[in-house]
Amino acid sequence: MTRYIIKRLLQGIPLIFIISIILFVLMMNMGDPIATMGGRSITRPSDRIRLTRQLGLDKPIYMQYIYWLIGNDWTKVDLDGDSVAETSGTRRGILRGDFGTSLVNRGKPVTKVIGERLPNTIMLMVASEIIVILGALAVGVYSAIKQYSWFDHTITALSFIGYSMPIFFIALLSMYIFAVLFKRWGLPYLPTVGMFDPKVGKTTGQILVHMILPVFSMSVVSLASYSRYIRSTMLEVLSQDYIRTAKAKGLPRRDVVFIHALKNASLPIVTIVGLDLPLLLGGAVVTEQIFAWPGMGRLFLDHVKRADTPVVMGILLMIAVAVVVFQILTDITYAWLDPRIRYEK
Amino acid sequence: MIKKNGLMFLWTTILISSLILTGCGGQQTTTPEPQAAVEETQEVATPAAEKKVVTIIFTQEFDTLNPLYSNMWFAMVTFDLWNAWAWMFDENNEAYPYLVTEMPSVENGGISEDGKTITLKLRDDLKWSDGEPLTSEDFIFTYEMAIDKNNAVASSYPYDQVLSMEAPDAQTVVMNFEEPFAPWEATFWKGILPAHILKPVYESENTINNAAWNLKPDVGCGPYILDEWESGSFARFVVNENFWGTPPIIDEVFFRFVPDDASQVAALQAGDADIGSFIAWNDTPTLEEVGLKIMAQPSGYNEGIFPVINEEKGSIAVDDVRVRKAIIMSIDREAIVRDILLGKTYVPASYWDSLPFYNDPPLENYPYDPEGAKKLLEEAGWIDANGDGVREKDGVDLALTYGTTIQELRQDVQAVIQQELAQVGIKTELLSYDADVFFASYDQNGPAAKGELDLMQWMDSTSFPDPDYYYWFCDEIPTDDYPAGSNWQFYCNEELDALFRLEATQVDANERQKTFQKINKIFYDEVIWIGLWANPDIWAVSPKMQNVKFSGVTPFFNIGEWDITQ
Repeated sequence: MTRYIIKRLLQGIPLIFIISIILFVLMMNMGDPIATMGGRSITRPSDRIRLTRQLGLDKPIYMQYIYWLIGNDWTKVDLDGDSVAETSGTRRGILRGDFGTSLVNRGKPVTKVIGERLPNTIMLMVASEIIVILGALAVGVYSAIKQYSWFDHTITALSFIGYSMPIFFIALLSMYIFAVLFKRWGLPYLPTVGMFDPKVGKTTGQILVHMILPVFSMSVVSLASYSRYIRSTMLEVLSQDYIRTAKAKGLPRRDVVFIHALKNASLPIVTIVGLDLPLLLGGAVVTEQIFAWPGMGRLFLDHVKRADTPVVMGILLMIAVAVVVFQILTDITYAWLDPRIRYEK
Repeated sequence: MIKKNGLMFLWTTILISSLILTGCGGQQTTTPEPQAAVEETQEVATPAAEKKVVTIIFTQEFDTLNPLYSNMWFAMVTFDLWNAWAWMFDENNEAYPYLVTEMPSVENGGISEDGKTITLKLRDDLKWSDGEPLTSEDFIFTYEMAIDKNNAVASSYPYDQVLSMEAPDAQTVVMNFEEPFAPWEATFWKGILPAHILKPVYESENTINNAAWNLKPDVGCGPYILDEWESGSFARFVVNENFWGTPPIIDEVFFRFVPDDASQVAALQAGDADIGSFIAWNDTPTLEEVGLKIMAQPSGYNEGIFPVINEEKGSIAVDDVRVRKAIIMSIDREAIVRDILLGKTYVPASYWDSLPFYNDPPLENYPYDPEGAKKLLEEAGWIDANGDGVREKDGVDLALTYGTTIQELRQDVQAVIQQELAQVGIKTELLSYDADVFFASYDQNGPAAKGELDLMQWMDSTSFPDPDYYYWFCDEIPTDDYPAGSNWQFYCNEELDALFRLEATQVDANERQKTFQKINKIFYDEVIWIGLWANPDIWAVSPKMQNVKFSGVTPFFNIGEWDITQ
């Protein structure tokens, strides 16, 4: 197994390298970072020329990629615009751990920009994912066991409603009901935006209270889809011969469902969760935007809008690495769940 | 059976618990009981109830707080709190001395007779929040950093217009220009750098690009000082105990970054914020209903259409002034303002409409006259001979591309204008782009900069409250050799060019006014710009707030006088 993991990790390196090239080229063609530096007015021509040079945007794309990858401290750059490259570069490149600095938050290292937001996103997404997985397991398994019962029909109907509602609608609706209307009606109410009330301070209680609506909004949609998926895989497994055999042997229903059925039904679910988990690091763009939650989704959107290549590349690369790692973890989990799966001869 | 029931109970419990946790549980924990608030504030050193905090929503986050490194409105307006302009602007957008003892003028000797020297006299009681004196050395350092080739500042303008700058003593700054520089009042000293903090950084790194102060300016000279800025979440400013002026009334100014308009409205309705910024026109009635005061402050910005007027770029039809007149007469701009913007603004007749002194005598708007427009088009040779609803001339359809950014309001207006132009036989293809694509430069293939559109729409201002602007110089037309050019209308008018160069050097306001009368006339006669609506800054203010005034230039100029009732 160890050899397998090492092999997979080594295979991931060229993959990430290729991904980085594709993403970089796409990013460089997505917009002009100087275009939005003029504030509410268009950037002045003299500033445009100077900033293009100073930020290294006058170089060809392949050169900018090389600088991003291995840095430019081995060469000289022209900062003063006299067409003579006399100043030593200062960038070390991502291969040496330097992800560069943000073009928007001038001088702020990309790792710091991302590092400030990542915990907020993880907090939100993990809470949501736990609720979704536990809720979906409970609902999905019970629906499968009680197929065509009133509970199953009700949950099926609710799932379709939940799944078909766009997240921005749920988010805004829940905000309006639980924050605005509840307050107006004199009921206990929830906060609308942010992570805490400035008059109270950033306490654990405040953060938990401010998490309720965003977590709820994200959970509704995912819970609906996950529970449907679990229900169908459980139904498939429950109709297998070995389940009938287990029942015939007189095994307790709990053991049949949880040990024999659920474990085997989990393989496809693990695949979905394995694909979802790395994407959680990217945050929930819509939810974070609406609830003003300072996470990765908003960071990504804000910096894409201003064509901040270093930050966007940092985020995308982090997700790409996470996808590779989580896929390996998913494969390992397969082997644990199903002893028939072997990765080594 | 017991086990089965137990399992059901377990699952049901998990489900209900999850839903309660997500949907309902918080309601109890957020009950706005004073006791609950007291318990939570035990982690905070001072009793929250006594602290006066104003929460302001910003729909965008600052990029950096170094005054030289950002042109972003959301960053610049905070300088009124923690930094300072040499002179501020009041609610009438009139300048008044702040760091200086008086506004320089020819009469008081602050401006030389030839207009080439401006002398500033600084107050002698100025100091930074760490107690260090604020002197002319800080002004000179700010100037030096703005023009230093190693600093990637957002704009070196207007400091790059200065020939030399001197500080004969600690309270005097002398600016020398090669030519008189008329727009000085609106463009200089929008924030000062603390030399005693940043000079050592510059001396060691040869640049201040990466100075920690840029992102955490914990030394300032305004009534407040930055306490904490959490990326994507908030920025908190607290009282500057060493402020040289009158101490502010409110203890803390809390900026919350809320990017979504609907969320901002909900937060204001719920009382989670006291002041909202950049309120959409269609949200104003909702907010007024719940008692918030809507304050519209002219800031010089107007939304308008910029036609591309060049024989080699854009449609040949738009090069004909009769077609441009037909376009402006085909658009019912009053109806757009009335129906889409709820009648809360007006149609500007002049690019200088928000500066009445430079739009004097005021221009009259072209009327909405589709029949007159049709006559003009026929006169120009554009006739719908084949009856397909689109006029043509020499076998070419009168079809125009009309581009703007993806902003929802702009796209709504585009659709209305498209229908109105169709009624007079002008076909338009609507295009919309992300801002960083639409405003990209010529060498980045920006559609506007490349002259790929016939009509372009965006919001812009002059160097408000100064009338000067630089778009329309003939040598600003972008080319392969000069891709940074700003004349995206590709319009060259030698007479206009000369007038713009002249006004920029006219320190005498009356003489300058005469020049702008001529500029205005050319703009009007040639239909160089089609004004759609004046775009003031719109604020929503809670009834709890007192003494709140806004300026269109330095919005928070009187923030020290604000008060809030608990």
